[in-house]
This record gives sequence, C-alpha cells and structure tokens, in this order.
Amino acid sequence: MSRLGNWWSERVPVSGEQLRELTNEPVPHHLKKWWFCLGGTPAYLFVVQIVSGILLAIYYQASTSTAYESIRQITEEVQFGWYLRSLHKWAATLMIAAVVLHQMRVYFTGAYRRPRELNWVIGMTLLLVTLGLGFTGYSLVFEQLSYWGATVGANILDTVPLVGGIGKELLLAGEEYNAQTLPRFYIIHAAILPATLIGLIAIHIAFIRLHGVTELEEPDLPADQPKNFNFFPDHLMTELSLGIVLMIILSVLATVFPATMGPPADPNVTPEVIKPEWFFYATFRWLKLFGPTVAVLSMGFIIFVMYAWPWIDALLIKVTRNKETSTYIGIVAVLLIVGLTLWEALVEH
Amino acid sequence: MPDDALSPSDNNTSPDHIDRRSFLNTSSTILMVGGVGASYGTFAYIAGKYLMPSSEGKAWLFVCRATDIVPGGSFSFQSPTGVRVAIKREAVENPSEVPPINEFLALSSICPHLGCRVHWEGQNNRFFCPCHNGVFDPQGKPVSGPPAAAGQELSQYNLQIEEGNLYIEMPVDSVSSTNTSA
Repeated sequence: MSRLGNWWSERVPVSGEQLRELTNEPVPHHLKKWWFCLGGTPAYLFVVQIVSGILLAIYYQASTSTAYESIRQITEEVQFGWYLRSLHKWAATLMIAAVVLHQMRVYFTGAYRRPRELNWVIGMTLLLVTLGLGFTGYSLVFEQLSYWGATVGANILDTVPLVGGIGKELLLAGEEYNAQTLPRFYIIHAAILPATLIGLIAIHIAFIRLHGVTELEEPDLPADQPKNFNFFPDHLMTELSLGIVLMIILSVLATVFPATMGPPADPNVTPEVIKPEWFFYATFRWLKLFGPTVAVLSMGFIIFVMYAWPWIDALLIKVTRNKETSTYIGIVAVLLIVGLTLWEALVEH
Repeated sequence: MPDDALSPSDNNTSPDHIDRRSFLNTSSTILMVGGVGASYGTFAYIAGKYLMPSSEGKAWLFVCRATDIVPGGSFSFQSPTGVRVAIKREAVENPSEVPPINEFLALSSICPHLGCRVHWEGQNNRFFCPCHNGVFDPQGKPVSGPPAAAGQELSQYNLQIEEGNLYIEMPVDSVSSTNTSA
C-alpha cells in the first residue's frame, strides 16, 4: 500500500470489505419498479430544499417590514433568484406529493405491519413535519395568503384543549399576528423543522436497514430470476437516475410555472377569495363543514388513528380474519380526501 | 495479626456495609439525576419565559363627542393601525343629553371562528367571512357557517364615555404600523 494509503487507513480504520458489507444490503426484486422508490424521492427533494433554502436565506429578511420586499428582490432582481425560488416552491410541492404517495404505497402493501409499526409512527411524524414545513414556508412570503394562513393556523391551534392557548401565544409571540411573529415562523421553517426532519429521516432509514425492505410476493417473477439484487451499485443507480429525472422535472416546472407573488399582507382586509396551498384543501373544507371544536378534535382523532393504524389493523385482522379490510378502509379514506380536495379546488367559497 | 488484618475486609462483606454503600450509591444517583433535572428544568423555565411575549399594547382612543352620533346613526372610526370600526347608536324615542354607554355598539370585524376579517355585504345585509363561510347579521349574531354551529357572535370593542367624550379600546401595535414597504 502506498504511504498515502497507509496514512488514510490508519486514521480511518475501515476496510473496503467492511464498507461493501455496510452498503450492500440485498434489495428485493420489486424495488426495480419505480413506485417502490417513492421513499427515496422526498429524501432527494429534501436535499434540493436544503441547498435552495440556504441560497434563498442569503437574501431573505424575516421582518414584517422587509420580508415581502426581499422576496420581490429575489424574484425580480437577483440573478437566477426566480429560478431558485421557483425550484424551492416546486420541490416543496413534489416533496409533499411524494411523501403522501410513499405513505399510500406503504399502506396498501401492508408494509407497516409487525415488526415495522414503529417505522410507520416515524413516517407519520415525517408527514406532519413536512406539512409543517410547507405551512411555515408560505407564511414567510408575507403576502395576503401568508398572513391569513398564519392567523388561521394559530387560531386552529388555539382551539386545541389545554395546550392550545399557550401554543398559539408561543407561535405568534402574542395574542395576534404582530411584528415579532415572522421571525418565529422563519426559525421554525429554517432551523427547528429541518433539524427534526434530518434526525427522523436518519432513524427512518436505520429502521429500514435493521428490518430490511419488506419482501413482497411476486407470483409473476420467473423462477430463474434472483429474488434480490445489490444495493450498490444497482439500486443506487436507480435512485441516481430518479434524481436526474426529478431535477429535469423541477427545472421545467420552475421555468414554465415560476413562483409568483400575491398582494402583500394587509392585516385589515381578508381577501374576498382565500385558499391555502393545495395540500391543506381537504382540512380547509373540513373546517367549513363543522364548528371549530368539532373540526379540530375530529382532525386530531383522525391523526391519532393514522398513528395507531398498525395496531388497529392487527386488531381488525384478528376480528374480521381478513387482511383486506384495511385496504377497503384505505380506499374510502383516499376517496374522501381526494373528494374534499377537489370540492375545495372547484368552488370559490 | 494476620487475623486482625483480615477483619476490615470481613467488614466489607457485612450486610451493614453493603447497605451503607448502596445507600450512598442510590443517594448520589438521586442527587445527580435531581441536579441535572433541576438545572435543565431551570433552563427550560428560562427558555419558556424568554419565548413568552410581553403583553400587547391596547389603548383607549378618542372617537368623537357622544352626542355627535344621532340615535339610529353610526360613526366610522379608523384606528391608528388602520382598522375601520362602525360605531352604531341605538334608535331611542327620547334621547338623553348624556347618552348611556349601552346605546352604543362597536362590532369587531375579526371573525370569532379563526380570526379572519369579516366584511359587510350591503346587498345581502350581512357580514361575511371569506375564510370559512361564516355569516353574521347586522347585530353580529351568527347566521350560518362554523360560527353558527359554535354559537360565536362577532365580539365588541369596549366603549366608554367620559365627560361626554366617546372612547374605544383598541390595539395600537400592529404589523401594518411597521410595514413600510407595501
């Protein structure tokens, strides 16, 4: 070995053999299908968000008197500012979509079942943190939607029994939106939630490595085909090509549909027509259908049921002796969410 | 002598000694955990206090002479933060020289549901909240939508008459007062 090689291996005592073993987890054959790679997609998009987010933070000024102007400057004056802002916005949209699709895939293939219940719980938290990032993200623009979205969000928190009131005051830095509010949203968006996400993703992946990817029955797989393939380089190549495709999609979306700016926040006027981002359409419609306490408590209950689903499902299997029950419930839930989302999308009020 | 020399080590294994040792172990562990808990707890308390905002500024603002608003009429008042409030006076048969405060009504335009601003729809004779379709009658009573489901009325600003002058209590710090760019 060369002197440089010796120097290195003395300081980093890991052999190539050990590294190969560490990275060469056998990957089940079904992961050659792209929709089983939806878990890697949000992780990739999250990296895009970190890079573009850091770049945006260089010009962004989180104060009510400067935020809107600084984003206008990024969008209209800074070279390629429009591209990075649009990239950030579209990657956020795709990230939420990919997380939801990944969760649906896990749900409908029953991959959350014993012994993987805890990773489903981590995954649910990842979903909520991602939605939180989306919410705090569009609050930072300080356009009308940002202001009223933040106000409504904080007041939803307020209706939560016991802790809601103090939560709202902590979030808004007071009873209502004020000059101290925006820095809090910024810190949550750019520090607290991303740090949480990094930690949770690490645990999520660690769990996948510890349990291995769920084996699926593939009746149409020829008998002479191997059941597994290597993570390195085969699966890594799949993920990399997915990354390239995503980057192309993102760039096209950012160029053809660049991020625009709505009217600046006006605390004295709520616009005649106001809607949150698409991923909150279903909850927004839900809030119109019921009184605040009923709406918030039922949403809390739904989130609790989603968290506890692996155990509820185990109970359902025991009672009904049918593994498909959760599939039917899942189809109804998806139709309900899609229905509420479309309803909100198609009407003004 | 060898016997004597052995005796202290014999003592080491006596139940008495073990008790003392385990007592010291347990108590030092409790002290340690308690100390760490207390110090981090104190830090959490300080952080919580730091994050809690100081109280917001509200002030009594002069509106007009109380008699300037005729019975059945209203007065449009704009606060320094730009909030517009219509202050209405009840129509009474024999108005007194110094009208009582309960003849006046100043409805807040903040929807009691989730805090959006309602606006007046003249053609429908109602207040409408564009966020979640809350509807209120001219007196601020809920008619339909989530506020009606929860029985939430539009809240009222506090009013006060002093030496014939009408005052209203309103927030004076606001986002818009610092928003110079828009």
